[in-house]
Order: sequence, then structure tokens, then C-alpha cells
Amino acid sequence: MPQSKSKEKMTEVIDSVESLKVAMAEMREAQQVFATFSQEQVDKIFYEAAMAANKARIPLAKMAVEETGMGVVEDKVIKNHYASEYIYNKYKRTKTCGVIEEDPAYGYQVVAEPMGIVAGIIPTTNPTSTAIFKCLISLKTRNAIIISPHPRAAKCTAAAAQRVREAAEAAGAPKGLIRWISVPTLEMTNELMRDADIILATGGPGMVKAAYSSGKPALGVGPGNVPVIIHSSANVKVAVNSIIHSKTFDNGMICASEQSVTALDDVYDEVKAEFARRGCYFLKGEELDRVRKTVIINGSVNAKIVGQSAATIAEMAGVEVPKKTKILIGEVESVSPSEEFAHEKLSPVLAMYHAKDFDEALEKAKRLVADGGFGHTSSLYVHPTRQDVIDKFKSVMMTGRILVNTPSAQGGIGDLYNFKMAPSMTLGCGTWGGNSTSENVGVKHLLNTKVVAMRQENMLWFRTPEKIYFKRGCMPVALNELGQVMDKKRCFIVTDQFLYKNGYTKPVEDKLDELGIVHSCFWDVAPDPTLQCAQEGVKQLRAFEPDVIIAMGGGSAMDAAKIMWVMYEYPEARFEDMAMDFMDIRKRIYIYPDMGKKAYFVCIPTSSGTGSEVTPFAIITDAETGVKWPLADYELMPNMAIVDVDNMMSQPKGLTAASGLDVLTHALEAYVSIMATDFSDPSALQAMKLVFENLPSAYDNGAADPEARERMANASCLAGIAFSNAFLGVNHSMAHKLGAFHHIPHGVANAVILTRVMRYNSASVPAKMGTFSQYAYPHAKERYVEAARFCGVTGASDDEVFENFLAKINELVTHCGVPLTIAELGVKEDDFLATLDEMVEQAFNDQCTTANPRYPLMSELKELYLDAFYGRPATSYEA
Amino acid sequence: MASMQEIVKRQNKIVYREGDEMIKVFNESKPVSDIFNEALNLARVAEAGINSPKPVWVKRVDGDWAFATTRIAGKALDDLMAEHPEKLDKYLKLFVDFQVRIHSYRAPLLQRQKDKYTRMIKSLTDILDATTRYELEMRLDGMPNEVEVCHGDFNPSNVIVGDDGELYACDWAHATQGSGAADAAMSYLLFELEDHTKAEKYLDLYCKKSDTPKQIVRNWLSIVAASELSRHREDNREFLLSWIDIADYQ
Repeated sequence: MPQSKSKEKMTEVIDSVESLKVAMAEMREAQQVFATFSQEQVDKIFYEAAMAANKARIPLAKMAVEETGMGVVEDKVIKNHYASEYIYNKYKRTKTCGVIEEDPAYGYQVVAEPMGIVAGIIPTTNPTSTAIFKCLISLKTRNAIIISPHPRAAKCTAAAAQRVREAAEAAGAPKGLIRWISVPTLEMTNELMRDADIILATGGPGMVKAAYSSGKPALGVGPGNVPVIIHSSANVKVAVNSIIHSKTFDNGMICASEQSVTALDDVYDEVKAEFARRGCYFLKGEELDRVRKTVIINGSVNAKIVGQSAATIAEMAGVEVPKKTKILIGEVESVSPSEEFAHEKLSPVLAMYHAKDFDEALEKAKRLVADGGFGHTSSLYVHPTRQDVIDKFKSVMMTGRILVNTPSAQGGIGDLYNFKMAPSMTLGCGTWGGNSTSENVGVKHLLNTKVVAMRQENMLWFRTPEKIYFKRGCMPVALNELGQVMDKKRCFIVTDQFLYKNGYTKPVEDKLDELGIVHSCFWDVAPDPTLQCAQEGVKQLRAFEPDVIIAMGGGSAMDAAKIMWVMYEYPEARFEDMAMDFMDIRKRIYIYPDMGKKAYFVCIPTSSGTGSEVTPFAIITDAETGVKWPLADYELMPNMAIVDVDNMMSQPKGLTAASGLDVLTHALEAYVSIMATDFSDPSALQAMKLVFENLPSAYDNGAADPEARERMANASCLAGIAFSNAFLGVNHSMAHKLGAFHHIPHGVANAVILTRVMRYNSASVPAKMGTFSQYAYPHAKERYVEAARFCGVTGASDDEVFENFLAKINELVTHCGVPLTIAELGVKEDDFLATLDEMVEQAFNDQCTTANPRYPLMSELKELYLDAFYGRPATSYEA
Repeated sequence: MASMQEIVKRQNKIVYREGDEMIKVFNESKPVSDIFNEALNLARVAEAGINSPKPVWVKRVDGDWAFATTRIAGKALDDLMAEHPEKLDKYLKLFVDFQVRIHSYRAPLLQRQKDKYTRMIKSLTDILDATTRYELEMRLDGMPNEVEVCHGDFNPSNVIVGDDGELYACDWAHATQGSGAADAAMSYLLFELEDHTKAEKYLDLYCKKSDTPKQIVRNWLSIVAASELSRHREDNREFLLSWIDIADYQ
């Protein structure tokens, strides 16, 4: 056992740098054993150590007063009592060993480890209680502690540490975890700070600075210069007696003691009278100057007066006061450091200021804190209902503790006058005081923690409009619901000129008339709808105040209607915010407003392609700036989709081809997306199968094959459902830019690069893969092959199936009259090359890119574009 | 040495003038290393470009060590202050401006101020108890490390107003590189030993000119008082002790 080994050789007296080094090596050994102790073992040691310190509180208090010649035995008894009992009580149930926090659902654990050796620097003012405190929190955290006492208090500090150590060792702690320097020197203190793992420095600025400059992490604390304001609404009797109680505690040596009182004009005399009545002495005339020069020398406290009684200090200053005087009070005016009374006095000497109002009092308090007690403590006496006064005080005071109606010496150390505030003998002053913490220091500051994070998968979702009605001829039946079930009164129709003029909206309008729903129509939506067009529509919309909006048309009319819907419901919403790209739609910065408060939203598609009737997406272009705002949020999802192929029968051939190939791209991209799920897959698979089976005939025969048309309408809607949940990929990112820069119809732009992107995605060694917890390794190729087989493609191997699938897709593309190179679409080489770099960057930055299974490099996108332009033979695209 | 004219006699030296040179002749109580150190200090500050006499030689003269420098033709500022008390404010301003200018120079090989003060505090074993020395060392240790050229004994008797109108500083025995505020604290203390009002005037001017808060200078007073104490000037002992026994804030 290392314990017995170290017992034999342990260096008992540490009185030189050499013996200190030996002792610290021994401590390190002991601490390594202690680090393996269980919570149960540690808690037993903590208990016994706290008990022993508590039992010794009176002899230790006597020793401290005798050795330092400062303070009051009875008050030091309280401090020792507090440091053992309150610290034990606070941390008895705190977990400090092993797993201290666990959340299995999130796969998250926090494991606590000790830091090693704590360097405990102990001041003269609270030597035994601070030693007890630091030893106890070190034990609770399985650390060793080496104490550097102040030379003026070396014996009593050592005695306190020894009590704790003996009890800890009797309870099973490794020998020599708690050690102390017998005769401190600057060299030894510096050596100790260099060798320790963490410095817990309580002391003056010199000590704290030394700690921070040692290069080791330090929890240093700074000086206090606690100002008190007594507000007009305060209970003066409570205020004054609390201050006396606190300021006389251990003769004013606690750093959180009041140093100045500022009383507002209307209570000033009452405050003064109460102080006088309770045995405080107001210095008069010359006495004031005598006490000034006695207490403060060149801006520093005279060491001889620290922790002395008021009468003793008065005597030293040559001022005659009653023997039992509690506090010497100087009524002074200046709060600048040139006024001795404005300093921290570490004795029962108090400054008193008059303020005409609260603002003046705040100014004074601010200055006092800034010059001598930045970050420490401030105090206010006020009627508890005056939250306005408390709010103002707390907003202005730059102190780690803001105490209200509380004796600050006892209040600042916590748990005596407020039971949420952690008890501590070491009070952090934050960066204001040059400290690493502004809290009351406790066990958490002596622990290293390890977070154990398991790989978790994201919560997924499946979202669709609440109602999707489909089947040829379903529209009038579905519309019945608006009147008969929902009791809608006013309907606003958004459509395009062609549909309106050719009477496509007539059946809708007739139905609404029949239902007794008044209606109005905006029919000026152009392809690639603009913000200006939407704004025009919104004017009408607002004037009409509908309770239902029907968007009828292709993607453009439905997108424009979605935007108008947002603008109608939330006129103040900003497009820049709504269009901000996101990495994860659930973590996006902008939160969309709750839609549907004013109007129910119905979509009736007249082409089979975009799937916009079931998607949460809309794109709008600002015609003035040319900026495209792609909006995506489930709030934009229509409430009802009516897929009735009767509205789509007379689609022209070109539209059938382009929108049909768009559907195929939607389905393929959704299926290989990093966000594809068991819920989105079926829609994607079925959509692509329907496209292969029905697009050729729908393209060739149009309205003559209503069955094929209807299945294409379903395919479009199913693909929309799939990509609403699984999103798209690089194919769409690139197609968006081809469309924007070279005016290629969207579906054609998708088709012309489709098989090249599939080959690119299917690389088994991509340069980079997409980032999503569920997406564990590159597997796009396997997914394409699954899809191929579902669509009836066969082959001897996966590779063969994949190649056959690409061939089948290209065959379909060609059947629909779409070429396989960008050049053949009539884009001039010069124009293409001139815009290439910009297209690449914008495609890379497109919202669709994030869900792609392969995370693209811009150079790769450029190659893809070039290959597709010239029709170069496909390369492997392996990294 | 017949042409040597005695100027002033101090505890451990006699200062002579010989033509364009000033010669300090030391008795045995002065360690030889101190004499060479003073010569070295002077060489360093002169090389740094500070207005000062130039070192000429160090050698034995009739069995005593002596150190010669060039002589600055002019008048010591303390003499001028005594002769023209009505011009005190003007002289003090010149004095402070010169001190602040000296602080702007750098001499990287001069000894470190904190080392010098530490040595002086440690040497006070017969006057200060270990606790007080510990407090002083702690306070000194926490002071920032700076590199301003500090004269270390900057008082009007060490400043010559040259006939050319320029100011010159002599007697660089205590020169260090460190904090100008510490140097000012020493000047303040030397004034205070002589005249409180003058001391306060000096501090006002210095802090304003160098844009230094007075607290920064005052923070050094216990340390410079201890260093002054180590020079064993018995008549100031009680006063210096009263400046030393202070507690750090808690």
C-alpha cells in the first residue's frame, strides 16, 4: 500500500524549497491513490474531517486571535463552525466521484476527476476557517492540498489543517494528502504555485497577482470595498443594526464587510441617530484627520489596526471614545482614493456619505467599487417591494454579490442570510477583479469533468399537408368541405393569366358560388414570380380579407400564393430572415411565424412536376435587386392539396417532359439524401417507378392517355412528399443555377446533368461525405441500385444494375426530347464559361447541397458542369 | 592632485573638481564593485542618450578607489530652488518633465529594479521582522515588470541645469530599469523627508505629466521606504518604518 510506504519516508516539516519539492512528490503519490476512491469512501472522509474541524472550533479560534493579535475569538468560533458545518451540509450529497451526471436518452455522461494538488494560500484575516474550508473541499474532490499560510498566522493555520488531516487519515484517506509550509517565504510560495495543479488563492492583490502569474490555473479573489446604500424606503432600524452586526464581526476583517454607508437625504439623520444610539462613534473635527492618518498610510491599511477594536484604533489615533464603542464613523464627502475613508479598512471604521437622491448614491457606490472592490460585493437597504430600486442598483453595480437588506460580511459568504447562495470562504470577483470566476468558490471549481458523448441519431419526422385529395374529378367534391364543413366565407384565388383567361378557374369559382363563398381573384402571376407581383397581389388580398386562399396553377402560382399568404398573415416578416440558409431546419436561427391564423391555404396543381402543393418550399425573386429568396419552412406547407388530373389534361408536351423529368429527379435525390428515412423512401420509390411507367405515354399521348396523366400527377405529388421530408441534393443545386444563368427550364436543367450527378454521388471514395449523424458511411451507390431494382432494372452485379439504371434514365430523357449535353440546349460556350465560376460557387452554396450524400468540393462541381456541357465521357469521380 | 578642488564631503566619499572632470574618491567602506557598477550604469545611460556626465576612468588614487566623470558646467537644481524660492513651481516642472523624459529611455542591460528592491528588502533582517519582509516581498512580486530607465535617487541635488540650458542628471549609482512610478515614489519620499508641501506638489505634477494615477505611485511607497531604510540613515528610521507596516487588502 502506498500509504504505509509514504508514512515511513514522509517529510514532516516543510521549511525550504527542497523539502517542499519532496513533500509535493509524496503528495502526488498519495493523491493518485485517493483519485481511485469511491464516492462512499470520500463521503466518509469528508464527514469525519468536517466533524473534527467543527469540534476544534474554539481552540482554533483562540489560537488564531492569540497568534495574529487580530479579531474576536467568539466571531472566529462562528467562522470555524460555519466553515465545517455549512460546507459539509452544502456538499454532503454532491457527487464528486465518477459519473456525476447522466442522460441515457441523450447518450450523455459527465465524469468527475480530481485536479491533483491544490495550492491553498491562506490569509491572516480568516486563517483557521479558510484552512478548514479549503481542506474540506479538497478532500471532497479527491484532491491533495498544500497550504501556504501567512507568516503572521502560520501556527494556527497549520493547526487547523492538521485537525482535518488527522481525521481524514483516520477515516481512511491516504497519508499526507494535506500538507502545509511551516515558515513561508516568497520563494516557497512561488514554488508551490508552480508545482500545484490549481491555485486557490485568498489574499491581497499581491498574492492574487502572483497566483495568476505563476502559469498555473488560479482561483484568485480580490479585495472588497463594499458600499452600502440606505434607500429612503428602507427600514432604518434593520439597516443600521445589520450594518453594525456585520461591520463589528471579527472586528471588520471579512472582505465582504461594509466600508461605507451612503444614506439618502430624507433618512440621513435617522440613520445617524440610530448608529449613535447603538454605540457607534461619529468622529468630530480633528478626530477625523487623526483616524484617517492612523488607519490608512499612503493609500494602504496600517497593518497595526487590522482587526482591532474601535476603541483600540481610537486610542492609537489619540481620540477619546467610550471603551465599548462599536464602530468609528467618519462623515466624509469625497469618494476618490485621496480620501482615506473611501478605502477598505479591515477594521470597525466606516465612512458615511450623504446623498441628495438615489442617483447620487449610486454614483458614489459605483466609484467606491471601481477604485477598491471591483467585482466583490455591494449592499442595498430598501423596502422589499421597491423592485424598481433593486433593479436599478443591480444593473449598475459591478460586483459578484449584490446583497439586499443583508449584513454583508455574513451575507457575502453565503447560506446564512440567503439559502441558495453557496457558502464559501473564497469569493470570486470575476474579470472585474482579475479573477477567473465571479462565484463563491466551491467543489465544482476543484473538479475536472469529462463529458462522455455517445453518437446519437437525430430525431426525424414526416410531415405532409393535413389533407391530400386525389383522383380524377375530385376537385368539386373536395371544395365542398370549405363551405359545408369549414364554413369559410371569403375565398381569394391566386392563378396565372393563361389559366384565368382560358377558364381553368371557372369550375372553382362556380363551386364557390354554389357554396355561397364570396371570392376574388389575383391572376397576374408570371413564371418565376417576383416579390413585386406578390406585393401587388397582397394589396388585393388585404383589402379582400379572405378566410381561405386557393392557389391554382403550376409551381409559380403556388409559390407566389405561399408568399402572399405569409405577407397577408405577417406583414412585418422580413424575407432576408426567412430566406437565410440553414444546416438543420430544426436549428435554424429564424423561427417562422405560426401560419393559418387568418386564412386556410389550398393548392390545386395544374401541372405534374413541382409537387409544390405538398411542399414547404417557395422561391420568389426580387425584380429590383435580382435576388432570389428561397423560402423553406413547414409553416409554408399548404393545409389542403387537391390533385385532380382534370386540371392537368392539356399540359403542353414540353411541360410534360420537363416537369416529368423534374419529378424523377425529386424522387432520386430524396431517395439518396442523407436525410432519407423509412417514411420518405416509399413515396420516392413509388414516384420514380410511376415516372418510368407513365412518362413516355403521357409525353407521347397527352390527354389521350388520361391514365398515364393521372399516374404522373400522383408521381409528382408523391415525390413532393418525399423531398419535403428528405430534401434534395447537388443535382438541384446545379440545375437551379443553370436555370438562373442560362434560362433553361428547371426540369430540363435537372435532366441534362442527372446521370452524371448520380455517378458522382455513387463514388465509394468521395472526397467528403455529407454530415448528418444517421449518414454513417458513403452508400449512395447501394441506394441507387435498390431504386433501380425497384423500378425493374436488372443486372448480374450491383455495378451492372447501376449502369443499366443510368442507361434507362438517359433513354427516358432522350425519349422526352431532352438532350444529354448543356451545349445542345443552345447555351453558347463563351457565355457558359464566363458564368461558370459564379454558377459553381452559387450551386455549392445552394440550400439543396446540404442534404447531398456527397459533400461537394467546388472544383468537383466545376468538373461536373464542364463534363455535362461538352458531353465528355463520365469519369469515375472517385477521390 | 594638487589642482583638485574639494566640492563636497559625504559619509564614504569626497567629491573633487579637477578642470573639466569631477572625481569621486571613496573610502574603504565603499565596496569596489559598487564603484565599478556606478561607472557601468553611467556608461549605459550615457549610451542610451540620456543627458548625463560621461564616465572618464576608474582607478586607484593614493590607495583609494576613485571614479572620474566629465563635468557639466551649470548649477544644481536644489541650489537654484534655494536661491529662487519664488521660482519653485517652474523648477519643479522642469524636474518632473526631465524625469518623465528619462523614463522614456531604454537600457536593456541595466539591472532590474525588482531585483534590486528584493535584495534591499532581504538585507533588512536587523530592522524588519520576517512577516513584514514577506509582506513587502509579496507586494513587490505582484508589481508589473516594466523597463523604463529609472534613476533611483532622482532629487534636485542630482539634476544640473547646464550653462547650455539643458538639464543633466548625475549620480547614477542606483539606476535600474523598471517602473517609473517606483522611481517617482522614491523622489516623492525624498521630498517628503524634507518638505511635505513640496512632496505633494511634486506628486501632483508627476502624476499629471506621466498620466499615472496617484494610487500606482503610492503602492510603491512601502517598498521604496524599505529600500531607503536599507541605506541606514538613522535619523529617518522611525518615519520610514511608519510607511512600511501596512497590510495588503484582503
